Amino acid sequence: MVDAAISVRQLTRVYSSRKGFLFNEVTRTEALRGVDLEIAPGELFGLLGPNGAGKTTLAKILSTLLLPSSGSARVLGLDVVRDAPRLRSRIGLVLGGERGLYYRVSGRENLRYFADLYGIPRAERESRITEMLERVGLGAAGDQRVEEYSRGMKQKLHLARGLLHQPELLFLDEPTIGLDPKSARETRKFVRALLSEGVTIFLTTHYMFEAEELCQRIAVLSKGKIVATDSVAGLRQLVGGDRTFEIDGYGFEDAELARLKALAGVSRVVTEEFGPRLRITLRVQSPELELDRVARALPGHPELEVRERRTALEDIYLDLVEEEPA
Amino acid sequence: MSPTIVRAPNLLRVLWTNAVFAPRTTLGFMRIDYVLGTVLIVPFTQMLFFAVVAQLAGNPSAPVAFVVLGNAVAPVTYSSIFSVCQTTDSEKHQGTMEHLLVSPTNRAALYLGRGFLPILTSMATLVVGLLYAAFLFHVPFAAGSAGSLAITIGLLSVSMVGFGLLLGGVALFLRTSIILGNIFLFIGLLLSGANFPVSFLPLPLQWVGYLLPLTWGISAIRATASGAGLMTLLPLWGALLLSTAVTLGLALGLWGVFERQALRTGSIVRF
Amino acid sequence: MRKVEPSRLRAFLASVRLSLLLFLADPQWVIPATIAPVIFGFAAFELYQGSGATLVLYAILGAGMMSMWGQTLYGAGWATGQDRELGTLEPTLSTPTSYLWVVFGRIVVNAVTGLVGGLVVFAVVSFAYPHPLPLHAPVEFVLLFAFVLVTLASVGLVLSAVYVYTRYAGFINNFGEFGFYIITGSMFPVVLLPFWTSPIALLLPPTWALDALRYASLPGYAGFGWGFTGDILGAVGTMLVYLAAAGSVYHRVEQHVLTVGNLQEY
Repeated sequence: MVDAAISVRQLTRVYSSRKGFLFNEVTRTEALRGVDLEIAPGELFGLLGPNGAGKTTLAKILSTLLLPSSGSARVLGLDVVRDAPRLRSRIGLVLGGERGLYYRVSGRENLRYFADLYGIPRAERESRITEMLERVGLGAAGDQRVEEYSRGMKQKLHLARGLLHQPELLFLDEPTIGLDPKSARETRKFVRALLSEGVTIFLTTHYMFEAEELCQRIAVLSKGKIVATDSVAGLRQLVGGDRTFEIDGYGFEDAELARLKALAGVSRVVTEEFGPRLRITLRVQSPELELDRVARALPGHPELEVRERRTALEDIYLDLVEEEPA
Repeated sequence: MSPTIVRAPNLLRVLWTNAVFAPRTTLGFMRIDYVLGTVLIVPFTQMLFFAVVAQLAGNPSAPVAFVVLGNAVAPVTYSSIFSVCQTTDSEKHQGTMEHLLVSPTNRAALYLGRGFLPILTSMATLVVGLLYAAFLFHVPFAAGSAGSLAITIGLLSVSMVGFGLLLGGVALFLRTSIILGNIFLFIGLLLSGANFPVSFLPLPLQWVGYLLPLTWGISAIRATASGAGLMTLLPLWGALLLSTAVTLGLALGLWGVFERQALRTGSIVRF
Repeated sequence: MRKVEPSRLRAFLASVRLSLLLFLADPQWVIPATIAPVIFGFAAFELYQGSGATLVLYAILGAGMMSMWGQTLYGAGWATGQDRELGTLEPTLSTPTSYLWVVFGRIVVNAVTGLVGGLVVFAVVSFAYPHPLPLHAPVEFVLLFAFVLVTLASVGLVLSAVYVYTRYAGFINNFGEFGFYIITGSMFPVVLLPFWTSPIALLLPPTWALDALRYASLPGYAGFGWGFTGDILGAVGTMLVYLAAAGSVYHRVEQHVLTVGNLQEY
């Protein structure tokens, strides 16, 4: 059996913050509340969750930048606390964003500095930096100061730095946030290429289509706990099927909603208000249930619009996140 | 959707917001390290350092009490000039400067408001420095000098902050005004007569020294401590008032110029 | 995947190179850390010049030492604060190299640039002071100045850990700068200070190194009773303690910041 690339057991993390003139007001926040996770080598694993769910906290713990409060985590067979110095040579971290780079020197000089801190063989350093700059599309801008870079270029430089020492496992925290569609697509293409080279990738993202497009398995983190882990297809089954019916109309009564819920094959009923209009979303497990049958369950609504679509990852995500009790 | 009626922001409201909110966000006024460092620690260490230097030098024109009083006053530069410069720099670092400039708010109120809390901390720094002088370094103060000291402290604090506002504007189109703040901070220490009489300096430097409000403030504090009368103090206070009027007038005039320069060169995002 | 072998020397040199590049990209930042000692040096010169050439040399040596210390604090502390502000502290700590070596590189570069302050005071005072300065052993003087620099770096290395520990370390600059100038007797013999300050002074390697420097520079100097050799031994001994402590202090600080998770705060 192949060892897991990442193995997490009952991981918790509590933040304490102090406020006030004498720092005497202490606030405790549970960012992670018993996370279990197993990621295989060579897998592209996605972690989804709303803001403040604990995604970055988990990524930082796994990349040795934060200590857990309890539980254990092993990455590439090494303990993230005890073996942190050894582990750091083998993993890459891309936190992204506007910060995290030395603005007053060039992109190449930023990479040169980190190449030395990572101990990349001196003979290979320059060629590897040039190759990496080319690969992320910064070949022509490598000698420009970072303060002259656009946001997309900075993101590319973050990627180049994370990959410079050829890590076996890469943590990508929101890699396409703030990028224009073209740059975001290039980044996703790049991530896929890395995967084909055998790099294990741990991706946190807000973008559902990105996770759906890239990830082999996805975990949904909500309020510090993983509420589901599976492939997109598996998650569809988990939330009640890959068929979704949407019904738009006015003035639905509770009894009518109960009738829909009672229909054979309907696993979940969600209602949303759009001004006076109401949208009912049905998650449908059965292949037999027809749109007509649904419309017939709601007589007296001539305005009714009923349509079917495939359950999207966004539906699954919202179902899972909203189901999770506070 | 009904259109929102946009009114010009109330001048006093902008002034107040900038007086209270801006320094809290950019200077960390609630931070204990700032208060301890600038108001309590720096005056003491600076006074002690130069007191020992003066003791070793034994120069009759600059006895220990003379140097102690000068250095009780000089650290006001940290709380005034340096603090105000720092607000502009912090706005750039936090990326909030662009948002301020894009708002329709009154620029005079925006900038002048930023001087309010530095005036208070400057006064606190001066009071602490003078208390150290009296109780730790045993510098004698003439009986009944409290009122004159209070007036001098108030005038000096306002004029020093005015000077800071003038320098702070430069940060709009320079990467930083901290450098400029530092230069004035320490040049002031040399030229203001804090450690030796201004007359020790070459004549051109004496002229520069008399352009600084700190020079007049130090003279006024020394005169007050020695029990000088109103005839001696009034010209010194007058100089401080004149300095305030000139620096604030220049600050208000030049901020507009600096702002246009910054917009022209795009330096608002550079730090 | 290629195995990578981080080396402390390479990390140190990388830090030296980056510090130089950052300095050259914006050299005006040498001003905040060196202007204070330069001005204090001139102020002390104005007060000392009536009392003879030996005290004038005190002012020059003191300004040089203070300037190096100002820059050491800048490299040790302020630059780490910049790492927090730029968000580069996290990626740097996520590398397999200890941050200690990065800080060490910065301190050395900054302390060397701090010599500029001493040279400025030396040049101006030599011009302004009408009498010859009695510097009697120039070679030893230069070597001992370098030695003072190394002792300053050892203290800076330990102090810098506080800047990694917390973003609220600015008070060190306020207190550490003047406090250090006073305690180490940068501009005057430490015997002028209250007696209780002596043990603190002797715990700081630069106090010993500066005394040795004065032995080598000032004719007829009578400093600490144990003489020049005793000063050198004292400086080396205390410095070794600081260097040994730095590793352990950094390890603990790193554990702390990873526990509280404040690396991104600034």
